[in-house]
Amino acid sequence: MRIQNHPILSFNRGNQIKFYYNGKELIGYEGETIAAALYANGVFKFSESKKLHRPRGIFCAIGHCSSCLMTVDGVPNVRTCITPLKDGMRIESENIGVEINE
Amino acid sequence: MSKIQNLELLVVGGGPAGLSAALAAANYGIKVSLSEEREFLGGQLIKQTHRFFGSEKEYAGTRGIDILKKLIDEVNKNNNIEVLLSSRVLGIYEDNIVTILNDHKMKKYYPQSIIFATGASEKFLAFENNDLPGIFGAGAVQTLMNVYGVLPATNVLMIGSGNIGLIVSYQLLQAGVKVAAIVEAAPKIGGYSVHASKLRRLGVPILTSHTIKKAIGKEKVEGAVICELDSNWNEVKGTEQLIKCDAICLSVGLTPLVDLLKQRKVKTTYVSELGGYVPLRDENMETSIKNLFVAGDVSGIEEATAAMIEGQIAGLSVAKRIGKNSKDEIEERIEEAKNELELLRSGPVGKKIRKGLSKLGLNHGKNYNEKFSEEALDISHLMKTGVPSEENLKNKLPSEEKVFDKGPIAISECFQRFPCDPCVKSCLFNAISENANINNIPYVDFEKCTGCGICVSKCPGLAMFVIHKNFSETTSVVIMPYEFLPRPHKGEIVKVFDREGKYLCDGKVIRILDGKFQDKTAAVSIEIPKEYYLQARNFKVEEGNHG
Repeated sequence: MRIQNHPILSFNRGNQIKFYYNGKELIGYEGETIAAALYANGVFKFSESKKLHRPRGIFCAIGHCSSCLMTVDGVPNVRTCITPLKDGMRIESENIGVEINE
Repeated sequence: MSKIQNLELLVVGGGPAGLSAALAAANYGIKVSLSEEREFLGGQLIKQTHRFFGSEKEYAGTRGIDILKKLIDEVNKNNNIEVLLSSRVLGIYEDNIVTILNDHKMKKYYPQSIIFATGASEKFLAFENNDLPGIFGAGAVQTLMNVYGVLPATNVLMIGSGNIGLIVSYQLLQAGVKVAAIVEAAPKIGGYSVHASKLRRLGVPILTSHTIKKAIGKEKVEGAVICELDSNWNEVKGTEQLIKCDAICLSVGLTPLVDLLKQRKVKTTYVSELGGYVPLRDENMETSIKNLFVAGDVSGIEEATAAMIEGQIAGLSVAKRIGKNSKDEIEERIEEAKNELELLRSGPVGKKIRKGLSKLGLNHGKNYNEKFSEEALDISHLMKTGVPSEENLKNKLPSEEKVFDKGPIAISECFQRFPCDPCVKSCLFNAISENANINNIPYVDFEKCTGCGICVSKCPGLAMFVIHKNFSETTSVVIMPYEFLPRPHKGEIVKVFDREGKYLCDGKVIRILDGKFQDKTAAVSIEIPKEYYLQARNFKVEEGNHG
């Protein structure tokens, strides 16, 4: 899912780094956001909605819409689309299997 | 307890408006702090791979990403600008104290003046299943593919045919993604016709008077149901069709990000033409609160060029207010910028902005020439389909067929009035004229034109072609712009298409201009059977022909 050749742009990707998505080890690049790295690895469902457990993924990718929130290194509700990926980061989906009391 | 830091000017937002504002003020000695939420500057410019329209003075003909490089370079060289990256402005209080979060620490600042250049966010659209992963804002798709080099999907349905929808569709094709169709609820295309025409040549359908009913898929988008709309925007029964796609891209408009302004109780009002709630402001970009200015999309949705000029006006206004000298010179520059902005907005495409601004009580346009406010040609068919009518084409072709006998000549397929001039400025022989107004349609003087093909690479709308009708007894040559991979080789046989993307014939590549000057918009000469010289407007290089 990564563009190798582009007629206008060239992508100078940083070093390869490891990170964990719901415990699974994945590879991303320094300088990209968590959301971009997940998407490049084929992960499109980031979390679930609180009540109806509908799948949630990237919508705006510029930190405005809250669709891509995940728990990063234990911190909940991180906007993964504008948070840079760091080596060894642990990224967890939110609200999966969690029932809320009305 | 943390100390409060005094500032002369705080600019909030490092996009085109914020960068221009910071530079304009700093150039007159104002100490500027430029606060940007992300870890890099640029805002939405960072993903604009297309050449900009507008006037050459504001970088028309240059790609957005290259304009950004120039602006950042100037900012970095300027000792009066302190850039605060990864710095989120959290609050602004009644005493004008601003709190900024950086690296989990909150700092307090007391700026003498503030320019808000916070930009806009994308509008959403109501339809069934609109929350599925795979439904993106158009900006998100641009971010993924142009900033991070990540493909958003393989086959995208675009909703909305404004300039963003059209430009992003073209960028998707450049990245190797298929665009299933562009769906537009209005009976006509919203963006510039040249963008629409590029897509039609590439075979992308543009469905006006259509809308999306629902997205299909459980965990992710697998398709969409679209339907036709009647003249009252009601669904036409029985017109539903299923479109297969793995992503749906929404480009249904932007709305100003006025949250911080509202927090400070800056007066705002709803102006639909400007995208939603916008701050009340004067012609110098100052809001209802003294020393609080705005610039760019936060003050009303417009193009990036306008955002840059508004940034200049806001920055210069601050310099005039708190600077100690050069006031007359600053005043002169403010007037210049205002005139430029007025010129940009003076054509038919600026009508909506002008209407919106008048609702804010702004007297922009006192000098507007009504002559330039209406289209010069009947482009109704073009704006419905993206394909020019026979009448439109006739208007831009030589009046006599024998003109083609003199050799290669440039043909401009630009029929709509909007502010743009790179074709005029690029011609070494002064053969292209807009009759003194940037909003006018350019015409080629076939006497002066040598058919050199420079304009083919310089037109941001890819609407310039060179035709050499009598290349040989039986063949013509058409020089076409090309911004795709793979690049063609001399001698290669390529497939040639018409303005609707229909296959016409095979053609032979006889010359390729693809150097630094062309800047990735190659001008490729294709030899074709003579009967097609007025139709051949696109070609495709087959993957795998390259050994």
